[in-house]
Amino acid sequence: MIELHIDGIKLSVESGTTVMEAARQLDIQVPSMCHNGDLPHFASCMICMVKDAKNGKMFTSCTVKATPGMEIITLDEEIREARKTALDLLLSDHVGDCDAPCQISCPAHMDIPRMNHLLAQSRFEDAYNVVIQDIALPSILGRICPAPCEGACRRNSVDEAVSICFLKMYAGDFIHQQKAKPMGNFAFSDGVPASAAMTTLRGSRVAVIGSGPHGLSAAWYLQSFGYQCTIFDRNPLPGGALRYSVPRNLLPEEVLDLEIERIKQSGVIFQMNAEIDPERVKELEKEFDAVVYPLEKPLKMAIKASAFGKEAAWETRQKLSGQPIIGEPKMFNSRFGKLQESEALEYLKESVPGDRIEPANGFTHGMTAEEVVAEAARCLHCECRKADDCLLRIYSNEYQADQKRFQGPERKPVTKQFQHDTVVYEPQKCIKCGICVRITAKHQEEFGLTFIGRGFDVVIGVPFSESIREGLTHTAGEAADACPTGALARKGGRK
Amino acid sequence: MKIKEEIATILLETGTEREAVIPILQAIQKKYNYLPEEALREVCKKTTITPEQIMGVASFYSQFRLKPVGKHMIRVCVGTACHVKGASLIFDALHRELKLTGDEETDASGLFTLEKVSCLGCCTLAPVVQIDGVTYGHVAPDKAGKILTDFLGQKGKKAKSKIRNTEGEKIEGEIRIGLGSCCVASGSESIREAVEETVSNNGLQINLKSVGCVGMCHQVPLMEIVPANGVPVLYTHVDPKDVKSLIEKHFNPPTLLKRLSVRAQTLIENIQDDSRWEGVERYTSDVRERHITSFLGRQVPLATEFRGIINPLDINEYKSREGFTALQKCLTGMSPDEVTREVLDSGVRGRGGAGFPTGKKWEMVASQKAQVKYVICNGDEGDPGAFMDRMLLESYPYRVIEGMLIAAYAVGATKGYFYIRAEYPLAVKRMTAALQFCRDEGIIGPNILGSGWSFEVNLYEGAGAFVCGEETALIASIEGKRGFPTQRPPYPAVEGLWDAPTLVNNTETFALISWIIRHGASAFHSLGTAKSKGTKVFALAGKINRGGLIEVPMGITIRKIVEDIGGGIANGKKFKAIQIGGPSGGCLPESLADTPIDYESMAELGAMMGSGGLVVLDETDCMVDMARYFLSFTQKESCGKCTFCRIGTRRMLDILDRLCTGKGKAADLDELEKLAGWTKKGSLCGLGQTAPNPILTTLHYFREEYEAHVTGHCPTGKCMDLITYTINDKCIGCTLCAQKCPVDAIEFRPHEQHDIIQEKCIKCDTCRLVCPTDAVIKR
Ligand SMILES: Cc1cc2nc3c(=O)[nH]c(=O)nc-3n(C[C@H](O)[C@H](O)[C@H](O)COP(=O)(O)O)c2cc1C
Ligand code: SF4
Ligand code: SF4
Ligand code: FES
Ligand code: FES
Repeated sequence: MIELHIDGIKLSVESGTTVMEAARQLDIQVPSMCHNGDLPHFASCMICMVKDAKNGKMFTSCTVKATPGMEIITLDEEIREARKTALDLLLSDHVGDCDAPCQISCPAHMDIPRMNHLLAQSRFEDAYNVVIQDIALPSILGRICPAPCEGACRRNSVDEAVSICFLKMYAGDFIHQQKAKPMGNFAFSDGVPASAAMTTLRGSRVAVIGSGPHGLSAAWYLQSFGYQCTIFDRNPLPGGALRYSVPRNLLPEEVLDLEIERIKQSGVIFQMNAEIDPERVKELEKEFDAVVYPLEKPLKMAIKASAFGKEAAWETRQKLSGQPIIGEPKMFNSRFGKLQESEALEYLKESVPGDRIEPANGFTHGMTAEEVVAEAARCLHCECRKADDCLLRIYSNEYQADQKRFQGPERKPVTKQFQHDTVVYEPQKCIKCGICVRITAKHQEEFGLTFIGRGFDVVIGVPFSESIREGLTHTAGEAADACPTGALARKGGRK
Repeated sequence: MKIKEEIATILLETGTEREAVIPILQAIQKKYNYLPEEALREVCKKTTITPEQIMGVASFYSQFRLKPVGKHMIRVCVGTACHVKGASLIFDALHRELKLTGDEETDASGLFTLEKVSCLGCCTLAPVVQIDGVTYGHVAPDKAGKILTDFLGQKGKKAKSKIRNTEGEKIEGEIRIGLGSCCVASGSESIREAVEETVSNNGLQINLKSVGCVGMCHQVPLMEIVPANGVPVLYTHVDPKDVKSLIEKHFNPPTLLKRLSVRAQTLIENIQDDSRWEGVERYTSDVRERHITSFLGRQVPLATEFRGIINPLDINEYKSREGFTALQKCLTGMSPDEVTREVLDSGVRGRGGAGFPTGKKWEMVASQKAQVKYVICNGDEGDPGAFMDRMLLESYPYRVIEGMLIAAYAVGATKGYFYIRAEYPLAVKRMTAALQFCRDEGIIGPNILGSGWSFEVNLYEGAGAFVCGEETALIASIEGKRGFPTQRPPYPAVEGLWDAPTLVNNTETFALISWIIRHGASAFHSLGTAKSKGTKVFALAGKINRGGLIEVPMGITIRKIVEDIGGGIANGKKFKAIQIGGPSGGCLPESLADTPIDYESMAELGAMMGSGGLVVLDETDCMVDMARYFLSFTQKESCGKCTFCRIGTRRMLDILDRLCTGKGKAADLDELEKLAGWTKKGSLCGLGQTAPNPILTTLHYFREEYEAHVTGHCPTGKCMDLITYTINDKCIGCTLCAQKCPVDAIEFRPHEQHDIIQEKCIKCDTCRLVCPTDAVIKR
């Protein structure tokens, strides 16, 4: 047995144990990307660096074995900066988007590709549930949103943007037409279910001032987080600017009513004709556990107002539960900007040809189900298949990495290899950890994967002129699951 | 069908084991000039080698080509010495001449393939271009086209060797011809032919002898004439055309008088003939007195003992000069521990760069209990400005072998490997022959020198990867893998080749061993400084008057080397800095030139002794450009395994590229320094850990030059994007520049002042070089 200290804690481990394994015995998780179970060590990512307290030298904890008397520091400012720098470097050579550009440019950060994916499979209710996680008023906004998402849509580089806004509108309208089920069951990321029959309220009560897109959206999310909301508005009918400023031909009254009705059904209480002056605000602050105030300046874009409402809901929730107030948690996003011509073709591999479809029956009626399915299939799926479990993203988020810091003069063009039935390979996302190479070698693939070239230009590829189909005959799933990034991933949507 | 048979033949030679992959690939490439996919697939079918392995290996080493190449290979040396003498301009000129675009390597006719190589090992002839077997030295950018025509004209003209047997006849003297790489590159082969021809035509009784490198590489080719009675004379820069007259000057062949008039005439012609465009100058005076004393005088030859005297491959001559007596002494009179102790006491430290005490390393290996142990001689020498190991292997193969044998005896090794760089074909050839001679003489093999001790030695040819000089990568390479370094510890001394304890020492380290054993530890110990004992061989090149190989005691100052040995800076320029230690080392300014050189002092100043490349820089050399040069080297040579080295070196290079093209920002300097620091700390092996040194030293000693680049100015005018060419009123309208400009950026206007069209100018420097009145100004 070997005795050593890790972060000041004494422990003894068997000889041959690496420092990383030793730390795990103390439940100290040293980050690691290129290390994988019992595959041979490789030491490539350098993110697992720790420090020898005696001489201040840093080393990779995945390869160095524990020796008697070691004193290890697993995290301090210098180590943090080293790991961040390693991530900055990796990101400078990582060409890929985590979230799709449409989602990033959507003020409400709606998961558009996932919605499209479900719509293309005629799973309308599931699509609605995706939309509603970020946009409380899909039918309304589907009609009046200027659609910044469509401006960012990569399909523009091929022909024309996907009709995202109409698709979202359809998802909303579809639910309203299913009168029997006014609301789908959906789960928020923290697992809190929200449904009309929500009974387990958390006890706290929130007052929301104003019933425009901001207030409606704040109330909807707070209610679904489990807080009883009451909306106060001086007008006789709810909707604020949506009802009183937006032209009716754009937004028919029945659409507005239906959507607000759904919010009412979720349990939100509406107090109309309620004049709110500073005095009354003070009273509300006393009566309620929290107050959501209206926006100081009304926003022109309803989608923005609605996004701020969601943000306010998150902040209120964090305040009420004593968490740090950060608003809706945001993940790190790797981005690479405009598509080049060759890349547009690569992206098209994952989609279908065809021009943009708009509602044949006129804008106010929206699309037919057939139109929706066809149009949603035009989505290029620019998001990463591993957006939720990519280690590079998770650590970049944790260490607040900066992708722009070491931006090179030119970026590598994106390619996508689709020859395989179950996995997709996108080499420009690869961090050259070699895990897949070791997996294919271990399972004796005939061709497998290998390192081709060296230095900065090294790529992982299949030997000779074979494709990944031949390279991964029986190890595709294992390799895709073990790949720490989105470079090798299973086909189909995300989990 | 044909490929199948050919591969089968190759495999018979190389074997079919996984570790044979590199020799197999070398054989395939030799056969087809590249690696056809079909051949590689066939290898996988017939051996245990997998596609993953063969592809990984074939694409790792730069020697291998996966695409067919042109009929002739043009290699432009971009090693350090050639770089400072403008190699990139030569490359650009050839690129233009062959009408290549972008990354294209082979010209449309398929005749030539153009590639860059790092150091051809004839740095004193810089800049150097090699086409197949022909080497062109001192190439000027405007002569690029001429090289190609000359080469095509030369082809097939090779004269037949006419060696004459002198046995039993009266010897009138000896002619020694240098056969080191520099000499060979500069044409000593044709001198040899000329000598043979003269000697046989004239019926002279002369011994013709090939000698290894004498270290005067700046004077090559060399020929020494040693009359049986008379003063020996060393001729430098010998031209084959003069050989006849030189020989005839010393010896009186019976037929001479008759032809004297003819001879005199040709001599005059030779002198007036200024079409000798190679720029190689010819000396015919007796230079031994003047040059040898100043150039060789301050040196202390241990590793290079008997330089210029012994024939590299003549084993009897080596023996007659105390060769193998040290080995004999060890085998008969010393226990392995005593040998190790002697080496430990001598204080000798590894000459491969890091300076680890050799005796300690031997102790470590000796103390391992194992059935099988290996000894490896590291002859990879990847530093693009160093060639001492090559010279030692070529000129003193027996000495290196003897050193290895002594080491093997001391540590109890069972098998040895010479790992020699692919770019050193001559060293490989010599060493192969030397090993065979040793086997024949019972010096290698079973029961060595009757001692009962047996040891076998193999030679392994590297395949072009700087990182394979690193010992763990070297071992991976011998095992038939990509040259990925691995974590140390475990050190090779404990777990090395095939997981057996392995002693890895540098070539020069081994070359010193026999001297130490013969003269005793204290003799060696008395040379050098407190912590660095003995001598060090340096490859001296760059902007000095006399370049070449030198062996000097540790602790000699930089200035002594540059001024006394190197004869000062060439062309009356000012001494600015030295670059020591190659890509792992640094640039030290002239103000530090009185520093005694040893491991400690170099490390303290941020440089490194490295393997011993020493390139002298003058006032026209740009320090930012130097840093960029080394980074572009290490960046290309990184194995690509770890993040900081693979991407970090590229990002540092990006920043340096920005600075050299006027796109730098002030913040870049801090970022560069930070990134350099992280790369040092965060890299797995010595390559990444030392790659930032050239940046850190230049930033430290020459920061103002970096700052100037931030403002868009290159103080030395080296950085092409930051300079412009103009013509001033000294122009006499001779039109030479207009005729020579490769892109017609100068209008042809006889007798008028010429003008450069800036938009067209590619800054190739041609006009400035051809202008007879220095009217072309570079700013
Ligand atoms: C990138 C890199 C390149 C190296 N190249 C060489 C080389 O060309 N020759 C050499 O002898 N040692 C080289 N070394 C050092 C070797 O790893 C090893 O330390 C050396 O061969 C040991 O021999 P020595 O103790 O006799 O110096 C290199 C090290 C690194 C990190
Ligand atoms: S593709 Fe392979 S080498 Fe690249 S990140 Fe994924 S597992 Fe690592
Ligand atoms: S430091 Fe560079 S050469 Fe060394 S292992 Fe890492 S990537 Fe390879
Ligand atoms: S986990 Fe240790 S280097 Fe990647
Ligand atoms: S021959 Fe060009 S640098 Fe050595």
